[in-house]
Amino acid sequence: MLLSPRREVGEFRKRYKWMALVVVLVFSVLIGRVVQLQIVQYDEWAARAQENITKTIPLPATRGVLRDTAGRVIATNRPSYRLYVTPQMMTPEHVALFVDLMGFDQEERREFQRRLREIPNRRRTHQIEFYDDIDREQLAALETHQNELPGVDVVAGPVRTYPYDSLGAHVVGYVNEVSADDYVLYATPGRLDEDQVELLASLLELEGEARRDLFARLLVEDVRDPVEILRPPSVKQFWRIYSNGSLPGVELVAEPLRSNRGARSEGGTSAYSPGSVVGRMGLEEWGERFLRGRAGYRRVLVDATGRRQMIDPRLARSREEHEAPQPGMDLVLTLDMELMNTVKRAFAGHPSGAAVVVDVNGGRVRALYSKPSYDLNGFIAGMSHDEYNELSSDPFRPLIDKTIYESYFPGSTFKPISALAGLAMDGFDPDERVECIGYYQIGTDRKRCTSAHGEVDMHSALVQSCNVYFYKLAETVGLERLNEWARNFGLSQRTGIGINSEARGFLATREWYEEHYGRYRVGYTLNTAIGQGNTRATLLQLALAYGALANGGTLWTPQIVESIREPDGTLVEEFPTQARRDLEVPAEHMDLVTRSLFGVVNAQNGTAYSARIDGGVTASGKTGTAEIAPGTPRSDVDPGRAWYFNRSHAWFAGYAPSENPQVAIVVIVEHGGAGGRAAAPIALQVLQEYLGSGATTAMSTRGVDRDRRGG
Amino acid sequence: MALVRTMRDQFDWGLFVTSCAIAVLGVVNLYSASSAAGARSDIYIQQIYWLTLGTGVAVLVVAIDYRHFERNAWFIYGAGIVLLVLVFLLGRSIRGSTRWISIGGFSLQPSELMKIFLIVALAKYLHHDPKTDGRTLKDLVVPGLILAVPMGLILLQPDLGTALICAFIFGSIMVLTNLKLRSLLTLAAAFVFSAPLTWAYLLKDYQKGRITAFWSRLTGNEADILDTGWHTHQSLVAIGSGGITGKGFMQGTQNQFRFLPDQHSDFPFAVWAEEQGLLGSMLLLGLYVFLVIWGLRIASQAKDRFGAVTAVGVSAMLFWQAIINVGMVCGLLPVVGMTLPLFSYGGSSVLTTMLGLGLLMNVSMRRFSHS
Repeated sequence: MLLSPRREVGEFRKRYKWMALVVVLVFSVLIGRVVQLQIVQYDEWAARAQENITKTIPLPATRGVLRDTAGRVIATNRPSYRLYVTPQMMTPEHVALFVDLMGFDQEERREFQRRLREIPNRRRTHQIEFYDDIDREQLAALETHQNELPGVDVVAGPVRTYPYDSLGAHVVGYVNEVSADDYVLYATPGRLDEDQVELLASLLELEGEARRDLFARLLVEDVRDPVEILRPPSVKQFWRIYSNGSLPGVELVAEPLRSNRGARSEGGTSAYSPGSVVGRMGLEEWGERFLRGRAGYRRVLVDATGRRQMIDPRLARSREEHEAPQPGMDLVLTLDMELMNTVKRAFAGHPSGAAVVVDVNGGRVRALYSKPSYDLNGFIAGMSHDEYNELSSDPFRPLIDKTIYESYFPGSTFKPISALAGLAMDGFDPDERVECIGYYQIGTDRKRCTSAHGEVDMHSALVQSCNVYFYKLAETVGLERLNEWARNFGLSQRTGIGINSEARGFLATREWYEEHYGRYRVGYTLNTAIGQGNTRATLLQLALAYGALANGGTLWTPQIVESIREPDGTLVEEFPTQARRDLEVPAEHMDLVTRSLFGVVNAQNGTAYSARIDGGVTASGKTGTAEIAPGTPRSDVDPGRAWYFNRSHAWFAGYAPSENPQVAIVVIVEHGGAGGRAAAPIALQVLQEYLGSGATTAMSTRGVDRDRRGG
Repeated sequence: MALVRTMRDQFDWGLFVTSCAIAVLGVVNLYSASSAAGARSDIYIQQIYWLTLGTGVAVLVVAIDYRHFERNAWFIYGAGIVLLVLVFLLGRSIRGSTRWISIGGFSLQPSELMKIFLIVALAKYLHHDPKTDGRTLKDLVVPGLILAVPMGLILLQPDLGTALICAFIFGSIMVLTNLKLRSLLTLAAAFVFSAPLTWAYLLKDYQKGRITAFWSRLTGNEADILDTGWHTHQSLVAIGSGGITGKGFMQGTQNQFRFLPDQHSDFPFAVWAEEQGLLGSMLLLGLYVFLVIWGLRIASQAKDRFGAVTAVGVSAMLFWQAIINVGMVCGLLPVVGMTLPLFSYGGSSVLTTMLGLGLLMNVSMRRFSHS
């Protein structure tokens, strides 16, 4: 075989230098890339590498405990299993196994995958709470496969629990998780340049006026305090900002508290992160600042499979960190849950109503009872749409707090106030008798009384609840003075209890009647004197007013939180009782009224006489039978049941013991009919049970040494 | 004695030292890569065994005058084809592809060896092709068939990476041996038009996934990071976080905490770049540049066409593997299974590379000899 002569390979030689050049050029692209990665983008990649090996495990703070005045636990925490997912470690195989173990249906699978996708990149290495309170089967399944699912962690953590379930639900309130609606988008004027504002506007998808407005607000010379941009941003805007968190001075802050609106949280960072719980109603909301405590975290070093590594700290260039959560503070309430239970028992047989018990010497609220109620633990567990709709469409209105949020015509329970208004007039003689023939003729209008009482003076008019006497009185006293006395007793003013939205109540003036009814008629004044008219009051207002009747004229500010304490019981703050005003009613006027109220219960012709308990605690009070908004039948109930919902509300307002009053009570039985028959028995039974057994419960428990963390 | 004298006089120190340097750095790097936390293994020892065995093979190859290979080229090529067919009969399946056959306790990857056999076969064909002016498409039919048979078998395994390298070797050899510009353009056009067909019929889903992941990263969309782009992402984190001086030997967190996939075989460059930084990366890349150019220089000095084509082929193999592997590890190219010659762990890869380097040395040492 002949080998080719040398010259024939010359073709390669000519190309050698070109080839070498190509090789060098192609390799320079690689070298350029390595330079880009290792020098230009070094900071970013170094941060990612650090993120890879650190895992932040949130340590939720234990929420403060709510106790009643005797130390009984009303709201506490039980261990639950929360499920955290570290998105970066969830490969498609992991996801498949996970949804299998959790026993998800199609929709739950999709929901899980959607949530997983939506976690922004910079949070993908974090543990993010996906589910709280997984059930035992899920827990067991996950534990069996825990080595195959490094991105899934189950952490035992506290979940709110209410031992009294629905009892006092409205006043206790509930908690749930911070949601996108709780966020506020802030931006600091002067810190963004034009391009950045442009970017912000496009992230928020603002156009036209809104966009120009954003530029005007943010493009300023000097740096100013952060301004509110959106409250709350839409879910889409939220995520777009959240995953582009690099705009200077632009921040998303969770501000879940209505009461905190406008005040940005301490230290520039929110006290809330996704997954943290916040009090939503009642005392849980009121005490949020004290109850929530501060969440901690644990930062550990992990390998790619999410397992914790015990490694040379030099290797990690960061130490494991740990910050213990700070438990929240406890609230000691003035409520007495045993009394609440008593009220609940006394209400058996009545589908809806409410009751308030306050301490007459200080305004401490002992019971706030609203029926029907709802199970707080159900609210915590998360309620389905149907369950919630059922609650909100229930004609007995379980979601309404009937003690504070709702106001009613006070009916005859208003008469003591009318009486005092009369007595305060010069030359008014309470012994002057009025003839009651069963009605009162005024012009062409015939106003009915409950029966023909014959000759009545003020005392017997109160005892028998004679309307005619008070019609006559009203003619003398006039609307202005009736309203003035009602205001003196705290009607139409918020009591200042501080929880939920408190109704103000209402007192109609002459001007109001002219505006709304065309003209003023004297009949309106007559109605006002017997607590109809357009006067509306809350149960709490009435209870405090009766407290003032009982204690000789001091109107107290209601108090529901007795003290705030550290988890170990150390006192943080104790709230003193607060008098709102002294009514300065002459003693003989007060005497007359209280003697009458005693008569209502204890005189044979008293309207509550049939309900009194022989040999029991002496009680005084006033019944009421308030017609409900005449002529406006409830439209939200079916006609077959309308007769029931057009029945009058039954009232009893009073106090006990008569000789040395301790507590005032107001009971309303919605659509219960006559106050003496429906409401008075409840009130008197409650007073008997509460004060009857040696009268120890109410006052003496305050000093009892409490088992602090017993629950 | 003549052989020993030739060895001493003609020994190509440049080739030897460069190859040794890469191999030694590779073993050092493997030591770190294989001692990832909690998973200490003796992979680096095995690599030393393979290198030793490979050196033996290379010495054997150097000892035999390459003209003998020229003479037996078709036999060598045929043996390679037989091995590739045997893979389908005896092969072991790992991760969905059948690439390995067991020979006496070792796993051999015939597709790796086929690269060298293909080079030899092409060299043989071109050696006897009297044509010296530019090649037309018609002239490519026979060498095209020489490529197509093994490449088809390799694609069936499937082993996209090796098939690609075969094609690139073929292309490089053809371009360097006076391909007509018009032929080149026609080939390029054919490639462009066949791409959608390849996408639709030839590529498996996981291969498509890698390519889409590659595109979404290039276009800045990181949504795919969790799925197929994950490996490359972690590789970039490793390289980028290495900085200029690196985190230090055995100090790379991406490596030690096993965030890097296939640290030993496909991603050793990421381990190296993380721990040795930009300086280390430049050193290693520099060695490859030198090695490839040195191989081309050997080709340019070869005394005959067979030697020249062989040297070009081996250089092209080293060049493309290095470019594709590092390009993929740096996120410039989609992920394909591709080893970094001499640096990656793997018996077949080491043996093939050593075989190639042996051929280079052979051609280099016999550039002046006359028979």
